[in-house]
Order: sequence, then C-alpha cells, then structure tokens
Amino acid sequence: MMFLQGGAGSVMARRHRFMVVDDELIVRESLAAWLEKEGAAVDKAESGEQALALMEQRFYDILFVDIKMPGMGGFGLLEQVKTQFPTTLVVIITAYGTVEHAVQAMRLGANDFLVKPFDPESLGLLVAKLLEHQRLLEESQYLRGEISRCWAGLDQIVGKSPRMVELFDTIGEIATSESSVLILGETGTGKELIARAIHASSKRLGGPFVPINCGAIPESLIESEIFGYEKGSFTGAMRAKKGLIEIAEGGTLFLDEVGEISPKMQVDLLRVLQDKRFFRVGGVESLSADFRLISATHKDLNSQIATGTFRPDFFYRINVITLRVPALRERKEDIPLLANHFLQRFSRETNRHVDSISDKAMDILMNYPWPGNIRELENVVERAVVTSKKRIITPDAFAYLTTEPSASMSSLGPRSLQEAEAAHIRHILDETDWNISHAAKILLVDRTTLHKKIKKYELQHPLNSPEAEPR
Amino acid sequence: MSTAENQSDPDPAQKGLISVVPLGRIGEDVLRVVTDSLQGILRLPVDLMPTEPLPPEAFMEPRNQYNAMTIIKHLSNNRPGKTLKVLGVTNKDLCNPILTYVFGEAYLNGAAAVLSCYRLHRVADGDFAPREIFLERAVKVALHEIGHTFNLPHCHSGRCVMRASNTLAELDEKLNYLCDYCEMFLSEAVRDLLEALKKKTEHKKKT
Repeated sequence: MMFLQGGAGSVMARRHRFMVVDDELIVRESLAAWLEKEGAAVDKAESGEQALALMEQRFYDILFVDIKMPGMGGFGLLEQVKTQFPTTLVVIITAYGTVEHAVQAMRLGANDFLVKPFDPESLGLLVAKLLEHQRLLEESQYLRGEISRCWAGLDQIVGKSPRMVELFDTIGEIATSESSVLILGETGTGKELIARAIHASSKRLGGPFVPINCGAIPESLIESEIFGYEKGSFTGAMRAKKGLIEIAEGGTLFLDEVGEISPKMQVDLLRVLQDKRFFRVGGVESLSADFRLISATHKDLNSQIATGTFRPDFFYRINVITLRVPALRERKEDIPLLANHFLQRFSRETNRHVDSISDKAMDILMNYPWPGNIRELENVVERAVVTSKKRIITPDAFAYLTTEPSASMSSLGPRSLQEAEAAHIRHILDETDWNISHAAKILLVDRTTLHKKIKKYELQHPLNSPEAEPR
Repeated sequence: MSTAENQSDPDPAQKGLISVVPLGRIGEDVLRVVTDSLQGILRLPVDLMPTEPLPPEAFMEPRNQYNAMTIIKHLSNNRPGKTLKVLGVTNKDLCNPILTYVFGEAYLNGAAAVLSCYRLHRVADGDFAPREIFLERAVKVALHEIGHTFNLPHCHSGRCVMRASNTLAELDEKLNYLCDYCEMFLSEAVRDLLEALKKKTEHKKKT
C-alpha cells in the first residue's frame, strides 16, 4: 500500500504523520509498528488529554482513536479534534463494534470506524483512501485560494454584521445599474474588494476591472497613464500607448484614492464622464469611452470641496451612489470571522498547520481598536501564523497589541504623519517630565531639533513652565 | 546445530551474528532455503539454531492463533550469545492484537522477526500450492521481515521484496530480492551494525 505522496501529480511530497491513541500498550505498539513500516512518522498517546497536548505541537494527518479510554474517552477526543483541528482525519477503533458506536462516531465526524482486529488488507486500503481524501481536500483548498485570488466576488467578502449585511444588500441592488459609485471608508477597510464585488455582480463582469491608485501615480504621469498617448507626443513616447480608460473598455474603471487627483485631472475626467469620449495625450482623434466608474477615498471630500481642492461638479458626477464601508471597530462581531478566514488562508499559503485561535487570544483581537482596519488584522494574523510553533494561536502571539504605543496613540485618532509625530513627541516629553536632553536622547534627535519641533507643534508643558528644563 | 555456510571465506568473527530459529517442527527444505537466502542477501554467515518450542504465552485462545508480537519479544529477549538478529520460523498461524493474520512480523530496527508458513501453502481455490511456490513465498516473507529489522520500511517502487503484501496474490507478485535502493540501504545498515559491534568489542577489551 502506498502512503507516501510525491511525483508530478501530487500537490506536495511529504512524510505523513499519524498518532495512535489507545490506553492498551500492545495495541499502540502493534498499530504504530504497522504504520511505521509504511514509512510514516507515528506518535503514540495513551489518553485523549495526552493526544491533544501532542496535537498542539504538530500536525497529524490521521488519528487512530480507541473509544474506551480513561479520561475524556475516544468520542470526547473526537469532538475536540473536529473543533480544534478540523483538518486532521480521525479513525475510531474499537474491540466492541456495535451499530450504536458506529453511528455515534460518524455523527461526531469520524472519517471511518474499524473493529479490532482488522483485516490487514482493509487497513491498508483504508489508510490509502483517507490519505487520498486528504490530498484532494488540500488540493481543492489550494485551488479555491487560487481562484479567489484571481477573482473576488461578493461571496469573497467576509462579514455577517448588520452593517455589512446592509452593504451587501445595497451592492446587490446597485450592481446592475450603470451609475457611478463612490465608496467611502477608512484605509484598510476593503474598498477595492467592494469595488471588485460590484464589478463581479454587474453585467460588465465579462469586461476588465482596471484599478488605478491615484495617490501612487506621480502627477506628471497620471494623465498619460489614464488617457494614453500617441507616438511622439512627448520625449520618450516611442510608440502609441493605450490609457487605462481604453483598457477598461466594456468593464469597470476603479479610481482608488480619488481625493488625490489634481483639479486639472478632475476637469479632464469630468469631460470624459460627460461626453463618454476622450483624446489620448497628443492625439487629435476623439475615442469613445465605455466604462463604469467606481471611485473610493478615505478622505472627507466635502471638506476638500470647501477648501477648493476638489471640484464640486466632479464630486457630483462620481458620487451618484455612495457606499460607506464601516471601519473594523464598527463591526467587531466580524473580527472572529475575519481572523479565522485569514488564519485558514495563511495556514494554507505558508503550509503551516495552524488550526485555530484560542478564546483568550481572540479576546485581544476583539478589544484592539484596529486603526489599520482589516489590512492590519490580516497582517497581525499572518505574523501569528508564521511565528506560531503550535497549532493553536495563544494570547502571547498578540501580546504586542496590548502594549505597543501605536495602538493607544492610533485610537486617539491621529491620521497624518505630522499628527503622529506631534503626539509621539508629547508622549516622550511627558514621560521624561519635559527633560529636553533626555527626551532628545530617546527620540534620537539633537536638542535644537526637538526645540524646533516643540515650537512647530506648539507643544506646551502641562504646568506652562518653560524653566522645567534643567541646565 | 547445522550451519549454513555457502559464502566464500566468511569472517569467523561474524559467525553467530544472524540466526534462524525453527519454532516447532519445520521442513528441512524451508529452513535451508530461508537460511541460504538470508546469507545471500546479508552477505554474512547465518546460523541455523536448534528447534525451540513456541512461547506458550503467545497463544491467543479466543483466536486460536499465536501473537506474533509476543513471539518477537520472546526471541529478542532470548537471543543466544552475540546474536544481533534472529528470525523465528513457525508453521502456526500468526496474528497480532490489531490484525486478523500476518505472514510475518518484525519491528523496524528490532532484533527479531518471525515468519509463519501457515498461510503460504494455499492457493486461491483453497488447494495446496506447489512446493516451489510455497518455498519462494517463505523466502520472500523471510527477506521482507529481516529487512525490517535492518530498518528498511516498505518499498513503494516496483516489485521489490520490501513492498507490503497483505495477500498471497500480492506476495506472489513481488520478486524475491531487493531493489537497488533497498539493497543499498541494507548494505549501509549491515556495515553500520558491524562497525558498532567492532567498537563495542574494542571498548570491552580496553576496559
């Protein structure tokens, strides 16, 4: 019987690891010896409690569990394994093969049921069948991940909170219309995912989804990137190039960070949206534009309009339908769902068998304010999976979330770099009782720089005594 | 005791390291081909020991079979002198606590193995197999089990004798020798064993 996987057809080649859990030494030894001869690594446990402790350290492909054991017993262990380590397969073994036992085992999620002693041929076939089953599960998980990376529809957005359910309903209603959509939400809330979901639910699904991060393209290049250019229209334009508007023909154009677009570009885009036609840079022929516009920003566009940096006519054109994506702190009930979603993804991608997050560790995630929203949660879970030496993520993996100054600082709401810098300098000054020399040392700047910063940010000693600095 | 010595110029120091022990009445021809085959594959002299009874504690009355694991432990604990590996041969039906029957049994890297001829006589229709087929089966099981004692796991390529065989059909399908890889691993294991033995002997002499 062939247990070791490998070769061109397999997802990965690795040595399988099994565990035999039985209070009878002779059974543990016999079954373990049989499995070892197949080239597998085998551990033995004499109780359910011991088995769970081992499972926290390592991944097991299959557990062979006796029903009758002191302590939690085989069925108790089966329940725990299926909750905490769902990817591990469990075969229940017993010397007393009753129909009731078999039914109960299957109801609790056992992958098979064997009555001791077994026919050697059937044991071999069973193990080979289960390993093939597991290989197919791993393969299907891998392929599902690949597909979801290629394309993210509504079902790829994780969330069951009322705010998200409301958002999904709205997306369903507006997806088929051709109106422009403005998605508002803090950084890291998944605005692009929402835009992709709208595209995936629209009749433009067959067309391309073209995202542009307006904040990432330099002002000097954004025009030629969006509108394209004709050969010789500027130095270096060796040949004509299609702009992103042309590439989005028949599909969706997604303008991320639309608040970063310059007033001039706003005028140009406004014309395209009104006329449905445009010119390439240096071009004389007007080209038709057929795309649906979805924009997104984390900025308050109304205040930008008030300060004159955002054109109201462009705002009204892109803001036919407004969607607000809630911040993660506004939908805390989704945190466990999202955290487990990321856990499974990173566990699969990094090939590290981390199965769950303990309740106490989850409490830390629930109580953290998440200034970076889902993106931050994603990074935190990835870090925990990569560094985890156990199969369950414990509170120590997230301990830094409860102590990092950035956490408490972020919850106060500084968003800009300057605000963060001012808050950090004030924090250090307060910590050093406004000892400038000491604070400058901690901040790794000279005293002159620190004085300049204090003046710039108009920081003042709580007691308003400039003489506080010792000489 | 008769000693099978068909190897050219065996090292006298290596005598008695590998033994075959008949457990109850066994045909002379079986013992001869098994001993010769082991000697050929291990390239070491193999001693055929006097007949011993099966350990009574190995009998499992409810199953009317003998527990192969108990026999292995008995052989391992009662190895004569400097014997490193011992193969027991019996005509009784063997099983173990988890399997309904076994043709043979051994632990990986263990000191003892056992071979049962009980099921090797048969053919599919319940008749007896020709003697040469029966002998070939016995040789295959003996080589397979002694291979396990040299830490060879089941081989997953070709028809190597270390391939797992749970039925007579699978046993007949295999060849009666090792594939190149298993042979290489076996040679290394034998070499390591002899080196360890040599060091142990030298250490004893010094102390």
